Amino acid sequence: MLELRGVRHVYEGRVVLDLAQFAVPRGSLIAIVGHNGSGKSTLLRLLALLERPTAGEVLLDGRVVWAGSASKGFLAGRPKGLPIGRPKGLPIGRARRRVTLVEQRPMLFRGTVRDNLGYGLRARGIRRTEMSRFMETVAERLGVTPLLERRRHELSDGEVQRVAVARALVVRPDVLLLDEPVSSADRAAAQALYRVLEAERRERGLTICLASHQLEDAYRWADDIRALAEGRLSPVTPENLFRVELPAAATAKPAGTKHVKVGPIEIAVMTDKIGPAILAVPPTDIFVSTVPARSSARNVFPGRVTRVARPRPGEVHVAADVGGGVELIAVVTEEAARELALVPGLPVVYAFKASAVRVF
Amino acid sequence: MDFLADGFRRALALLLSADAEVYGIAFLSFKVAVVATVIACGIGIPLGFVLATRAFWGRRVALTVVNTALAFPTVVVGLLLYGLLSRRGPLGGVGWLYTWQAIVVGDVLLALPIAAALSAAAVQGVDPRIRRTALTLGAGRWRAAWTVAREARFALAAVITAAFGQVVAEVGAAMIVGGNIRGETRTLTTAVALYTAQGDFGLALALGVILLVLALIVNVALQLLQGRGHA
Repeated sequence: MLELRGVRHVYEGRVVLDLAQFAVPRGSLIAIVGHNGSGKSTLLRLLALLERPTAGEVLLDGRVVWAGSASKGFLAGRPKGLPIGRPKGLPIGRARRRVTLVEQRPMLFRGTVRDNLGYGLRARGIRRTEMSRFMETVAERLGVTPLLERRRHELSDGEVQRVAVARALVVRPDVLLLDEPVSSADRAAAQALYRVLEAERRERGLTICLASHQLEDAYRWADDIRALAEGRLSPVTPENLFRVELPAAATAKPAGTKHVKVGPIEIAVMTDKIGPAILAVPPTDIFVSTVPARSSARNVFPGRVTRVARPRPGEVHVAADVGGGVELIAVVTEEAARELALVPGLPVVYAFKASAVRVF
Repeated sequence: MDFLADGFRRALALLLSADAEVYGIAFLSFKVAVVATVIACGIGIPLGFVLATRAFWGRRVALTVVNTALAFPTVVVGLLLYGLLSRRGPLGGVGWLYTWQAIVVGDVLLALPIAAALSAAAVQGVDPRIRRTALTLGAGRWRAAWTVAREARFALAAVITAAFGQVVAEVGAAMIVGGNIRGETRTLTTAVALYTAQGDFGLALALGVILLVLALIVNVALQLLQGRGHA
């Protein structure tokens, strides 16, 4: 649906974003995780067509909306100048109407909440009667109906955030981009918001891309998680994720420890939660050895190396099948990889502590 | 200090007697100031928007030029305009020298940099998220600009006030290109200058008081137009 190709974005002489390819498929919910300053907000502004990338292209439905300002001289960004044989460019104004961004710490316009919710509809020349119907449905869903006559200085941060999401949903965009949408919300409000987004997705195929530093939400709601670090996609964080069903009671086991079935293997985790959850095994917490060793690690899995990758100098990603197609990725140093002579096919033992497993 | 008290007494008497000449002068001042303010703000505020929001080649230079123009001495503007409008000047054919239109042109030249520089600052003072939010909600360029203007309305009202203040108090250019002709181009400020020079302090003071009242009325009107104080 939305796609960035070969995008490099420079801000005040610094490369803040460098992505060979970033696609948001139609109807998906993509979560972008990363620390502050990792480029999440910039990425969202580029996807929202609010900023033109220094180099590279932004595409909507396969049509170029923006080509980088630095890439083609002063005619840059004019879809007219595109090479023959490619789909015609999409005018920026029309493209923008299909993609809406809710900023981190959003700002409401002057006027009442009702005025704010109607803004996008007025911009589209939609009649007043139709307007209120649209607005009331969305306001009801996000629980902002009691706030409709208030002004921005009469709202809490969490309420402003909810109003901003409502304001964006009222225009029924094809793509909704959210920058830390629940940063000011409590747990209940956050879950309520995600449920609304989920419903919009189910009912009309809304495409969502959100930035969050709350991994828990990302793991729970997104169907794809992309980690950003210093403006680049980083492969580490979203590995080793398993959707599981946590058993109700930890019988005859030390308090707090549960053995959770993941395919044919059982992973020991420390948690009091029950029901559906996501397990994340941090790749840096996995010990790789060639023989089993007696240790405190409660999770010990013999397996075979399937892949060895070196995304960055000095950092080796080792994937191993630890039984029945369950693949775990461990990150080791170049030195360790050499010493253990890690190559595909080698029998290895993966070990990690029950307390290293994160439960969401 | 006797003349001050005497001046106030005469001023009051003049104001109450509805002196035709005094009111004629006041009306001309008002007309010139309003027309000049409207033109200066009509050009200057959009210019300020462009300077504040659009990245173009030479933007910094343009901002510097505008800011420098803020300090332009009124008599110098009057002098240059005199050169342009005098019969041998390039615009002599228009025949505007010593007319109220010439004063308007001078005042516009003086108020334009104020309107442009202050509105650029006003627009830059608006959180950039406002414009981005307007655009992402589907607003076109004009609607987005209008939304930004609404957020900056106090600062923009101050721009109009400052521009009006400049032109209503301006005396140098008005004197040179208007000529201070009785019944035609005599404004409050040029009249005050003239009567003070002639030693008629009472009349000068009376006109000065009218000038202040005029400024007060315009400011109150602008305040009322801004509406409620809250966001």
